[in-house]
Amino acid sequence: MQELAAAIRETARKLLEEKTVDLVIGFASGSLPLRSTPCFIRKPEDAAKLVFDAGCENNLANYLRQRDEKVAVVAKGCDTRAIVVLLQENQIKRDNLYIIGVPCQGMIDRVKIDALLDGKDLLAAEVQGEAVTLKTAAGEKQVALVDVLHDTCKTCQYGNPVIYDVLLGEPVKPRQADDFADVKAFEALSPAERKARLTEEFSKCIRCYACRNACPMCYCSECFVDCSTPIWIKKSVDPADNMMFQAVRVFHLAGRCADCGACDRACPMGLNLRTMTRKLVMDVKELFGYEAGVNLDAKPALSEFAFDDPQPFLVKE
Amino acid sequence: MQRNPYLPLPMKLVKNFTETSDKLIHTFTLQFLSEEDEKSFPYMPGQFAEVCVFGKGEAPFGIASSPTEPGFLKFSVAKVGVVSTALHLMEEGTIVGVRGPLGNYYPVEQMKGKNIVIIGGGFAFTTLRALATYILDPKHRGDYGNLMVIYGARNPGLLLYKDELAEWEKRSDIDLVCTIDRPVEGWTGRTGFIPAVTKEVSPSSENAVAIVCGPPVMIKFTLPVLEECGFKPEQIIMSLENRMKCGIGMCGRCNVGNKYVCKDGPVFTKAELNQLPNEY
Amino acid sequence: MIIKKSELNAVLDKLLAGYQVYAPVKEGNYAVFKQIANGGQAYLGYSNSKIPPKGILFPQSEKLYSYSVTAEGARVEEHIDGSKKVVFGIRPCDAKSITLLDFVFNNDKYTDPYYMTRRNNTVLVGLGCNQPAPTCFCTSMQSGPFASEGMDVMLVDIGEGYVAQALTDKGKELLAGLGLPEASADDQKAAEDVKAAAVVSCQVNTEGLKAKLDAGFDDPVWNRIYEKCLGCAACTYLCPTCHCFDIVDDAVDCNGCRVRNWDACMFPLFTLHGSGHNPRPSGKERWRQRVMHKFKYFVDNFNATACVGCGRCIKNCPVNLDIREVLADILGSEARLDK
Repeated sequence: MQELAAAIRETARKLLEEKTVDLVIGFASGSLPLRSTPCFIRKPEDAAKLVFDAGCENNLANYLRQRDEKVAVVAKGCDTRAIVVLLQENQIKRDNLYIIGVPCQGMIDRVKIDALLDGKDLLAAEVQGEAVTLKTAAGEKQVALVDVLHDTCKTCQYGNPVIYDVLLGEPVKPRQADDFADVKAFEALSPAERKARLTEEFSKCIRCYACRNACPMCYCSECFVDCSTPIWIKKSVDPADNMMFQAVRVFHLAGRCADCGACDRACPMGLNLRTMTRKLVMDVKELFGYEAGVNLDAKPALSEFAFDDPQPFLVKE
Repeated sequence: MQRNPYLPLPMKLVKNFTETSDKLIHTFTLQFLSEEDEKSFPYMPGQFAEVCVFGKGEAPFGIASSPTEPGFLKFSVAKVGVVSTALHLMEEGTIVGVRGPLGNYYPVEQMKGKNIVIIGGGFAFTTLRALATYILDPKHRGDYGNLMVIYGARNPGLLLYKDELAEWEKRSDIDLVCTIDRPVEGWTGRTGFIPAVTKEVSPSSENAVAIVCGPPVMIKFTLPVLEECGFKPEQIIMSLENRMKCGIGMCGRCNVGNKYVCKDGPVFTKAELNQLPNEY
Repeated sequence: MIIKKSELNAVLDKLLAGYQVYAPVKEGNYAVFKQIANGGQAYLGYSNSKIPPKGILFPQSEKLYSYSVTAEGARVEEHIDGSKKVVFGIRPCDAKSITLLDFVFNNDKYTDPYYMTRRNNTVLVGLGCNQPAPTCFCTSMQSGPFASEGMDVMLVDIGEGYVAQALTDKGKELLAGLGLPEASADDQKAAEDVKAAAVVSCQVNTEGLKAKLDAGFDDPVWNRIYEKCLGCAACTYLCPTCHCFDIVDDAVDCNGCRVRNWDACMFPLFTLHGSGHNPRPSGKERWRQRVMHKFKYFVDNFNATACVGCGRCIKNCPVNLDIREVLADILGSEARLDK
């Protein structure tokens, strides 16, 4: 990771110095343990602030839409998948974008860390190889890195960027194929159980829209939740409306969701949003053989129609 | 505790009048259901109220009637949002809600003894109409010096209160200067934009107060003209129109600097606005 | 007086006979204030609740009144909650935040009957912070781990129990009804020791901040501060002093109710005019408003900073946009500008 960070800094400095780009969007060290933060670098000498570690969880593709200047972005595999979708949807000009591809082993889930700390605050943490040392007022604790990675990262098939102008670091080994076990377990529940599970989960939603705003693909100029004529859903917090918000959000991402997990990570209330988004990811893959953001030249599932497309929602086949 | 400032007073819509030729502005005349209700709504020119369409919501509008016209309230409303659209479609006789009066008002006390210059553009003429009507009332006319009203719209059809303008034209105690942007057939009055017309008539700033309301671009070009005429920031009065919800300084959206347009305004002098950020 | 930890549940149960009791309740990895049905539900083990207790007095969604309209008139029925409540275990920062909300909902011209009725009927039983969190910076915001501003009763955790001190008449009345034993001299001493031992390690420099903001509306620092902000409302909804709201109708035809919901200055629609003009069109203006409101406008109007240093916005921001760093940037450490 240290060498990778150094390579990112060097690349960024050069790009700015040679005026290939006006801006580099990457990560700087954050203000909390295990947390890095998006940063915007415009001067070559500031490239020294760039880092890359297990806390770089944000999807930086979110900052690339509708920019006038030439931008370089530090992009993990999932970030590049989002970039591909945004390129396909004409939200980014490829000519104005320089992609610094970085392979990714997975990012740390601070919700999982919190769960291990029993209400204590994390004072400091260190990642060394496959182990993470956590320090609280109650003392130190060691956990295995793999146990505290985001679930998204554990099933990620695209640790290596799918599109880039330069690839830094060593490509990571592919993971075991994603069997969508989480989605299938949820599907196996009875409708009543599913409803109960969702109601419980979404009763915690505070409608801050962090999930929507953290999603690179949620860029409608007027989101349906804000629309006043007609009013699609109530603005009040209510499990039914919260659920409706998520349901529409997820359907709007069908065939577009790059399964980066940014929505899930952004949620301050720690809601499980992934099971819903991944249900659509799985269905689009199984029904149409399409994965969003993997191949720039592939026709997006929603832009193509074939007579033999499965239509189980129309006709029982 | 004072009465609940969120509760609307029910009022009957007695007239839904299409004010402009483009049909986008209607004037609504609302009647109090009882004398008691009317007593609980003492207002002054420049104040606004939240008009509520039950089932749709509420929106703030300047009160276009003057307290010297008892029995009813008038609002001239452009069709832009949910509430205003619902109002436009509303049948006469329907019950709506009104809460207020809200905000401060034109400083009619401090304006006493002074010459008054009212400058308005487009459909921002509503509370200016209230002010002019207030001053023209026989009870008040003697308290003020000359009254000049400069009012303009894009074309004759877009002028508000056309019948009243015609009456004012005939009176000797008000100097009405009406203008439209460009000449059109049938219009014999002045043409030209408000700032240019203001420059032409060049109102004296001597012992005078100017009250200006209109679209931002009109305000932007009219203020320098007033300055040329010698008006100091203290002599220029404006009314702001930020988005509002509560109307009572709590919901947090209409502030300009540390002032809430709803509670501390909407009427400010240019001198006061000069102390605030340009966030309106 | 002293509440033995072994007696805590019984004490809460006793309170439940006369009050609606709100206390932190464990929910997954965090605690939130909820109305409890028995003492056993309360959980005082977290440094602070995920959502601030402001919602007890100012709910996220609240029916203001219901109405039914006929040809003759409208019947309007207000829903003012006058029940007696206790907020048990509120932290000093959050108790202070309520004194700040009082300024807003009882301003120079208007009184909000919904908030103020609840406020007048609510007793705040505060709990000092033996172990402030690393994101706490209350001591930089005119509060502290054992500051009692806003509380009616203050509790100090001395291990086997809580030393309770009534600070107001409301607090005295509440404690008097519980028949608690007096705290011994040793207990008092232990409480003083706990207070002395609490350390808030994080300090935020605010010297000169107000002056900087007074003159800083057009400072170029605003061009950078907001850049990584996603424009969500996590910081404002979880802020104990943020109080912006929206009023909407929830109705079928013309029978329904008017509801107020929390709203946020981070949303573009918050200030959008009907004409399409927006005085705060981008994240830059919106972040400036957020900072100015807390650290300048509120100070201008009420002589108090609308931040209590609870650290929730720091912990919960999806992109780690840290208010402490924002303030440092504003104070002009140029080197931090691009961070």
